[in-house]
Amino acid sequence: MQSIVAKDLTKQFGTFTAVNHINFEVEKGEIFGFLGANGAGKTTAIKMMSGLLLPTSGDALIGGYSIRTESKQIKKHIGYMSQRFSLYNDLTVFENMQLFGTVYGIPPKELKQRINNSLEELMLLDKKNSLVASIPLGWKQKLAFATAILHRPEIVFLDEPTSGVDPIVRREFWKLIYQAAAQGITIFVTTHYMDEAEYCHRISIMSDGCLKLIGTPDELKQQMGVNSIEEVFVKFVNR
Amino acid sequence: MKELRMILYKELIHIVRDKITLFLVLAIPIMLVLLFGFTISTEIRNAKVAVLDQSKDSQSVALIDKISSSGYFQVVAYPETESEIDRDFKEMDIKLAIIIPSEFEHSLEKEKIATLQIINDVSDLNVASVLNNYLQAITHDFITEYNHKGSESGTVEMVTNMRYNPEMNSVYMFVPGIITLIMIIVTALMSSITLAREKETGTMNMLLITPVKKVYVIIGKVIPYMCLSLISTAMIILISVFVFKMPVNGSIWLLLLLCIIFMFTAASFGMMISAISKTQIDAMMVTMMGLFLPTVLLSGFLFPLDNMPMFFQVLADVFPAKWFIIAIKDVMIKGSGFFDIWKYLGILILMAIVLITISLTNVDKRK
Amino acid sequence: MPEIDIQHINKRFGKIEALHDINIMVEQGEVFGLVGPDGAGKSTLFNILTTLLLPDSGQVDIMGMDVVKDYLQIRQSIGYLPGVFSLYPDLSVQENLAFFATMYKSSVLDNMSLIKPIWKQLLPFKDRPAGKLSGGMKQKLALCCALIHKPKILFLDEPTTGVDPVSRKEFWDILKDIQHKNVTVVVSTPYMDEATRCDRIALIQNGNIIKIDTPNNIISNFRGHLYTVKMDDIFGLMQLMNQFELTCNYYPYGEHFHIAFYDEVEKALPAFERFLQDHGRQYGEIKPITPNIEDCFIELMQMS
Repeated sequence: MQSIVAKDLTKQFGTFTAVNHINFEVEKGEIFGFLGANGAGKTTAIKMMSGLLLPTSGDALIGGYSIRTESKQIKKHIGYMSQRFSLYNDLTVFENMQLFGTVYGIPPKELKQRINNSLEELMLLDKKNSLVASIPLGWKQKLAFATAILHRPEIVFLDEPTSGVDPIVRREFWKLIYQAAAQGITIFVTTHYMDEAEYCHRISIMSDGCLKLIGTPDELKQQMGVNSIEEVFVKFVNR
Repeated sequence: MKELRMILYKELIHIVRDKITLFLVLAIPIMLVLLFGFTISTEIRNAKVAVLDQSKDSQSVALIDKISSSGYFQVVAYPETESEIDRDFKEMDIKLAIIIPSEFEHSLEKEKIATLQIINDVSDLNVASVLNNYLQAITHDFITEYNHKGSESGTVEMVTNMRYNPEMNSVYMFVPGIITLIMIIVTALMSSITLAREKETGTMNMLLITPVKKVYVIIGKVIPYMCLSLISTAMIILISVFVFKMPVNGSIWLLLLLCIIFMFTAASFGMMISAISKTQIDAMMVTMMGLFLPTVLLSGFLFPLDNMPMFFQVLADVFPAKWFIIAIKDVMIKGSGFFDIWKYLGILILMAIVLITISLTNVDKRK
Repeated sequence: MPEIDIQHINKRFGKIEALHDINIMVEQGEVFGLVGPDGAGKSTLFNILTTLLLPDSGQVDIMGMDVVKDYLQIRQSIGYLPGVFSLYPDLSVQENLAFFATMYKSSVLDNMSLIKPIWKQLLPFKDRPAGKLSGGMKQKLALCCALIHKPKILFLDEPTTGVDPVSRKEFWDILKDIQHKNVTVVVSTPYMDEATRCDRIALIQNGNIIKIDTPNNIISNFRGHLYTVKMDDIFGLMQLMNQFELTCNYYPYGEHFHIAFYDEVEKALPAFERFLQDHGRQYGEIKPITPNIEDCFIELMQMS
């Protein structure tokens, strides 16, 4: 079953084509890496897929809902986390999760249960009433992720989720991602860490608004005859 | 020195390229003066009145003449009875009716006192009270003239000792007030905000890491805004002199000196604010709460200081605005010279020195 | 004499110990990397080295000058590229450069030699406001401004964070170029993979230096034996791994599973294969791989 189906998705700003007829499908439970140089059109594409921006032409089905006509439905079925905006520093861990959970309409009793379970899994139960400002960056990122999937979305968009965190935390973070994917949540992730791209099941590379390459990391490396995704990327963009 | 010139040039570019802020800084003073000048003026002209003259003698006719030639009143009806006055209120839209009792001249001569009965349309309380004041003033004039002509003095009841010049009074109050506010906004607020912006965006660190003297950075930041506020001040004074006929009785050079000194005080406030604030929002809040509000409330500009509790009167002394407003009024209205206001200049300079010392020691500190 | 000599530096902010007993020597003409996550203390150390911040205790000499006493002379000889874009967005490319040149009592033309290759790329945009440049161009302009007075040492605080891999590669090539013009380069980065671009690196974590060495030495001193194996349902395997009795580090790597053994390979490898077979796992060939800096960092962090 497909979680994301993009069909000729296009966005123009005046005469500038930010996203140019992109087509791809992402399977349920897949970890899909979305790479590209700065300004390649990634952000525009993600905005359209999360129902924030209407495409100029084409369509995408997100969890079966059209981004043209059912953007309200889409918002209920996706989660979003980015490095820039994650949690409120002046609220406690619990208050943050409660806030976002309530926004998604989880009933209070159920919400409390889910928050407790989620904190227990992260082994952060003792930090429940600590201010977010007081906990280390790596933990914040893990919490932000847990919060983004609290309402059990079908798809979660991660926008450079691990930039700047230490490598141990990064690996722990990726374990959470694998866990979520194993539970059937589709992961759509952008990153500038090319080694992180290797963690994905499949990756795509965008350039000048077009989706130029798509495949598993091994396939792409073989196709380009190189040993790492970084080389794939550099070789491809310079071509 | 080349560095200072470069910093000044850079600051000028910031000002010129930020079109919206530049427009606001130049347009707000003009708007404020015009706004205060035209709308807050208490002057009313050609208010319609009715006069019921039951006396019809030479003095009552003279009084009516005086009223209708004042420019403030226009006598539109001469009702014969009091019931006709009611009709005139409804149909002619008069604001006021004056009833001169019979034997007006006789009472003045013989009993030294005559009474006027005034009927007001109090639906607009402000208009009513202003008109009453005008009327009192006109009657006062009338009786003064009468007393000069005649051998003995008489009075007309309702005469109070009000100085006649209400609209001039408000001009006197608001021009120094607006100059004060504009200087504080442009010099203190703008310079502290832009300095805080440099801290926020990291350009301050770039500057600090060069061997350039920090004093240059600060001076270079403050001077352009002082010039800008001087331009605004000049515009305010020009408008108030040419549009609102406000006199400048003292020396124009003394006025300029006073404004420049106050600008330094305001700028040194700005420097201290930027020394303690890290972000633009901080700088804005501190200027608004710590400088702007006290200036509005405690300078004597909007609210007379004499009526305030002792605590606030003492507090007002700490802010420069009060001293500046006293001094500028003295120069513009009373025509005071340097030796009349040197005390105030001294206070302003002293404040500037204290503040500059505090902020310079703060800015130069590495932690 | 080392170009930069850092001895026993400590710095606290209230309760937080930002730097703890830092000792580093940087030689003239090398590219020295400070590698560590956000909040490790990289920026604090940079601020001390660039004379913006005073250490609580310890001694820092830059070209033989003391950062506390001789800071004005030091400032004339160092260039600094901060982590966030710190030029005037409303000034044009040209105006920014002229401004900083004047601040260093120098002029753009005097010092063209060092920045010429970068400046050439900026030339088409010379009248554009700096705020309207693309990310890569902004970075190049900032570099020009930091080099305009021919500094002996260039400090770069996370110059490549948030920059795409192609621009990043380009940027590192430029740095190499600068190094060849006899400028000592001190650069910080959170990207572990960039560490190999430096001559020597210091791994920094929670205000402590955990290792200073060349990237190659760090990698060859990796104590574990790292293997990769391709298989399905890696997450399922990870949940079983706590039953594996030998000491190891493991993590998912896309379609692959990476595992570092800390026992002898002759013993560990068969044990792992047996473990996989016992749990009925399908798996590909188990191949040894060279660890990267990240693997080494993790190992060093776990040891310290």
